[in-house]
Amino acid sequence: MRVFVMQRLTAVALVLFLTLHMIVVHYPPGHLDFSRVMERLANPVWKVIDILFLLAVLIHALTGAYAVLMDVERVTPYKRMLVGTAVLLGLIAFAYGTATILAFNTF
Amino acid sequence: MAKNGQTQNVTIRVQRFNPDVDAKPYLASYEIEATADTTLLDALEQIKATLDGSLTFRRSCRHAICGSCAMNVNGRNMLVCNRRVNALLDRRGRVTIRPLPYLPIIKDLVVDRTSFWEQYLRVKPWLIPPENGAAPAGEYRVLPAEVEALKMAETCIMCGACYSACQVVAMNKQYIGPHALLKAFLRVLDPRDAAPAERLEIVGGDDGVFRCHTIFNCIDACPKGLDPTFAIETLRKLAQKRLAFAAERVERQKSLGTGRDA
Repeated sequence: MRVFVMQRLTAVALVLFLTLHMIVVHYPPGHLDFSRVMERLANPVWKVIDILFLLAVLIHALTGAYAVLMDVERVTPYKRMLVGTAVLLGLIAFAYGTATILAFNTF
Repeated sequence: MAKNGQTQNVTIRVQRFNPDVDAKPYLASYEIEATADTTLLDALEQIKATLDGSLTFRRSCRHAICGSCAMNVNGRNMLVCNRRVNALLDRRGRVTIRPLPYLPIIKDLVVDRTSFWEQYLRVKPWLIPPENGAAPAGEYRVLPAEVEALKMAETCIMCGACYSACQVVAMNKQYIGPHALLKAFLRVLDPRDAAPAERLEIVGGDDGVFRCHTIFNCIDACPKGLDPTFAIETLRKLAQKRLAFAAERVERQKSLGTGRDA
């Protein structure tokens, strides 16, 4: 039940984050150049938004993969191992992604 | 297409498998004479009576109420006793009948339903009445709205069409399955039942409602037009407020003997 709820909640969050992402990154209003992108990436508010986006993507993807794998009867006995692997992968990816987001600074 | 009173020759392809003789299932074709009213079950009976007495299939009531004759016809699960051959002919004028998929074949069109019944028993499909002290002295008086809510689930004939059509069941026989979850829905929403929390704990577990992928195959397959997916969605919501729902039930049962709304 927790996995189900986590996946649904992050799905709602992703709708918001992806909408924002598409508007800001792919269809930005007005002029866009390298310096403006760097300025945005260095902005602390955007860093928080990007970290939350990353968190939502990771939770959604890993819970989804977990649910799909748990459908396979042969995998079911390895539930704990699957949960452990998902948490570990999630933590590594989150740490790596967060470090990347925090690395951006203004020139 | 044969009109009333006329007959036409049609080909019925039936999946055959005798575990004592055959290495794997195969399709056998039979030519039969069908009228506009010939049902698939009539066709199978005709094949068994006149062409091949070894053909094995389950059937009983012939009135779509016993649930024995669920099979896979042209790729869809259905009862064969209430479907006419004429309406199911493919472009080549054939009908293909196979046993219910994803279940072990015992012989020909007969499948082993052990997992179906095992999962059914997991949800405790019987009514669990209130303890002696809490039970009404006379009859249970349930509100019309409460009865109406259960109508959808209580006409299930346990044919197995939904269970065998479910892709989650196909992957994992530990999944409780739409048939049993529909029954759990019936009991959980029944105001006479005293164990909604226990039931919701079972259906809210690893093998229960949260494993459903809402593919809707169960709705598509149900010969009674029932909606197991709606039942599963309802149980999902109730499982998340299990204890509060159980407390509401205790309150409701205090007025079960009077007919008053709780």
